Amino acid sequence: MPPKMARPGRLRGRHNDEVITADSAGSARRGGGWPAGWFGVVTWLLSGLLLAFIVLPIIRLFTTSSVASLHQAADTAAIRDATLMSLQAAAITAGIATVFGVPLAYLLAQGGFRGREVIQAVVDLPLVVPHTVAGIALLFLLGRTGWVGAPAGHLGVSFYGSQWGIVAAMLFVSVPFAVNSARVGFEAIDPRLERAARSLGATPWHTFRRITLPLGLRGVLTGAVLVYARSISEFGAVVILAYYPATAPVEIYNLYLQSGLTQAASAAVILLIVALATFLVLRTLASGRLLIRVERAYS
Amino acid sequence: MPTADRGLDVSGLTARAGSFTLGPVNLHIPPDRVLVVLGPSGAGKTMLLETIAGLRPQNGGQINLAGADITCLPPERRRIGLVFQDAALFPHLTVQQNVEFGPRATGAAATTASVDLLHQLGVGHLAPRAPRSLSGGERQRIALARALAIQPALLLLDEPLSALDQPTREDLRTLLRRLLAELKIPTAYVTHDRDEALSIGDDLAVIVRGQLRQTGPAATVSAQPADPDVARLLGWSELGYGTAANDTIRIGNLALRVPAITGPVQAFYRPEDIQFGPPGHDEPVSASFMARVEQIVHTRPLARITLGTNPPITALMLHRDIGQLQLTIGEPTPASLREGSLRIFQAGEIRLPTQPLSMQKASRRLPPADPTNSPSQLVNRPTGTETSVTNPPGGSYRLVAGPRPASSASGKGIESTAKFSRKNSLGL
Repeated sequence: MPPKMARPGRLRGRHNDEVITADSAGSARRGGGWPAGWFGVVTWLLSGLLLAFIVLPIIRLFTTSSVASLHQAADTAAIRDATLMSLQAAAITAGIATVFGVPLAYLLAQGGFRGREVIQAVVDLPLVVPHTVAGIALLFLLGRTGWVGAPAGHLGVSFYGSQWGIVAAMLFVSVPFAVNSARVGFEAIDPRLERAARSLGATPWHTFRRITLPLGLRGVLTGAVLVYARSISEFGAVVILAYYPATAPVEIYNLYLQSGLTQAASAAVILLIVALATFLVLRTLASGRLLIRVERAYS
Repeated sequence: MPTADRGLDVSGLTARAGSFTLGPVNLHIPPDRVLVVLGPSGAGKTMLLETIAGLRPQNGGQINLAGADITCLPPERRRIGLVFQDAALFPHLTVQQNVEFGPRATGAAATTASVDLLHQLGVGHLAPRAPRSLSGGERQRIALARALAIQPALLLLDEPLSALDQPTREDLRTLLRRLLAELKIPTAYVTHDRDEALSIGDDLAVIVRGQLRQTGPAATVSAQPADPDVARLLGWSELGYGTAANDTIRIGNLALRVPAITGPVQAFYRPEDIQFGPPGHDEPVSASFMARVEQIVHTRPLARITLGTNPPITALMLHRDIGQLQLTIGEPTPASLREGSLRIFQAGEIRLPTQPLSMQKASRRLPPADPTNSPSQLVNRPTGTETSVTNPPGGSYRLVAGPRPASSASGKGIESTAKFSRKNSLGL
C-alpha cells in the first residue's frame, strides 16, 4: 500500500503528445507502457470484467435498500449493538495483533537463524485453515474445558460467548497480516542503518526504537489496518467460538435466516458503510499525514 | 597492554560466514597512521571491518583498542566510527539529527559540536536538510561527520568513495587525506582501488580470499609484493611462467637476466617501467629486446602501448614521451626492462611474509610477557609466517618464495645483469 501512488494522469510524459493508434479499448499510452493492439484489448476486457464483478454486487446491494429501511435498521438496537461490537472487537484485535506481531516480524526480518522458514510457515498457517475449522480448533482450546479455557474460566475469564472469544477468533484469522506486513516493512530497511546506529553507541533497544521502528512504521500500521479490515469481515471463526454477543456479520446472518433477504440487506449496507468508512480513514491515517507526524515524534 | 598505545591491535582474529573463513588476521594500527586494507571484491575486507566493529561474531582472536581489550564488548561500547560505501544515513532524520544521533545515544548533548563538525567538512549549510536530497559526496561528508561525532577511538571506512563519480571522488580523497592526517585517530580504510589505497594509506594490508597476504608500509608493499596476487593488485603485470637456469629465466622469447634462482618461476613487471630506446650505460637492466609497437591506446593519465612480444608486454607511458620517442605502430623499437621493475616468484610455493607495520615502532608494541594479553596467541604464532624479508639495497629482484635467504641477492648479481642483458636482446 504505497502512500503516494502516483495517479496515472500525473504521470503523463512526453509520449502523451504523440499520435497514438487508438484501439477500441482506448488504451492511450500513459506514462509509457500500457499495452496496445489485441493484447491491450484482451487485457482491458478481462480487467474490466473483474472490476465489474467486484463493484456490481456492492451497487446492487445499495440499490435494494431505501433510505427509510436504512433508518429503521440503524434504529434497531440489535443491529447497532452488533455493529459497535464488530468495530470494538476489530480495533482491539488490531492492537493486540500489532503488539505481538511486531516482535515476531522483527525476528523474522532479521533472518539468519535456523527454523526461520518453519516459523514463517506457522505464521501463514491461519491463511490456509478454513475459518470454521479455526473456530472449532479455538473452541477446543478456549472452551470451558479447553487447555486454556479451563484455567481462564477459574480466573473468571470466559472465551465462549464473550467479547474475548470474538477477539480470539478475529486474532487467529487476521494476525498473519500484522506479522507479514510489519516483516516486509522491516525487511526493506537497509541493515547497514542498524549497524551504523549500533556503532554510534545505540543499544539494540535504542536502535529498534529510533531506527528500525520509525523506518518500518508504515509496514506496521498497514498491518494493523489490514488486521482491522479482516477482523470486521470475519464470520466463520467468530460464529463458532462466540455466537453471542453477535458481531455484525453474525447478526446479518441471523436476520437473513429469520427475516429474509431484504431485512438482512439493510443491516448489510450499514455494516458496509461503517466498515468502508473506518477502513478508509485508518488507511489514510496510516499512510499519510499521521505517519509523518509519528515519524517526527520518534526522531 | 602498554597503556601509552592508543592504537588498534588485532591478533589471531578469525571469523566465519558460511563456508568463507576470514583470517587469522594480525594487524596493528598506531594512532597516527592510516591502514588501507586492499583486496579484490569478495576478499573479506568488509567482513574484517564489521568483525572489528563487533557487528559480526568472531570465532577467535583478540582485539585491543586504545589499551583496552574490546573483544567481548558489544558494538555500541567499542567507540568505533564506521563509514559505509553508500553513507547509510538515517533517511528519516535531518542531517543534523544524523550527526547528533551518536552523542545523543550515549547520553551526551553536543549540539554545537555536531554543527562544528559539519562546518569543518564543508557541509554546515546542509544541517536542516533531509539526506535524500543530497549528492553522494555530501552524504559521505555527513557520514564522516556522524562517525567523528562520537569521538571514536578508531575509524573504519568501508570503500567510502567507490559509489562517487570521478571528480567528487578526487575532491573527497584530498579532504580525507588531510583530515585523517590531522585527526590522529587510527584508521582502517577498505578499498579495492589501488590508486586510492596508495594515496590514502600509510600502511597497506593486502587481503585475498580471507587471508592477510602482506602488510607493511604502502611504498614497501607496492614495490615488493610478497606473492603474485598481491603483485597483481598493486599494478604489476604478469609476464608468465618460466624456468630459471644459469642465471637466466626464459619466458617465451624473452630472456631475463636474474642470477641465483633455479627452478620454475613466475615473473611480473611494472608496465610503467618499460623503457624505450637503447638503454643508458649507467642503468642496470634485466632484459632488453626489440619490440614491435602493435597498438597505442590513449588512456589518461598514461597511455597504454601494446608490444608484439612473446609474451605480450603492455607499457604505460606519458603521452609526451610517445611523441618524443616517435613511437609508431608497426615499427620495431628497442625496449628494456629496468631493474626493480621485475618481480620473480618461485612457482608452486607461496609463503606469506608479513612485515610489521611501521617497523621502527613494532618491537615496542608486542610485549613478550604480559599475562593479560592472551599469551598463548603471541607465543604460538608461527614464526615462519612472520618472516619479513627485506630487500637488499639496490637489488634488482628479490626472491620471496625461494628456498634460500633472500639476502644473497647481492651487488655481484647486478653487475652481471647489466652485462648479460645486452647479449640477450631479442628481435621480435
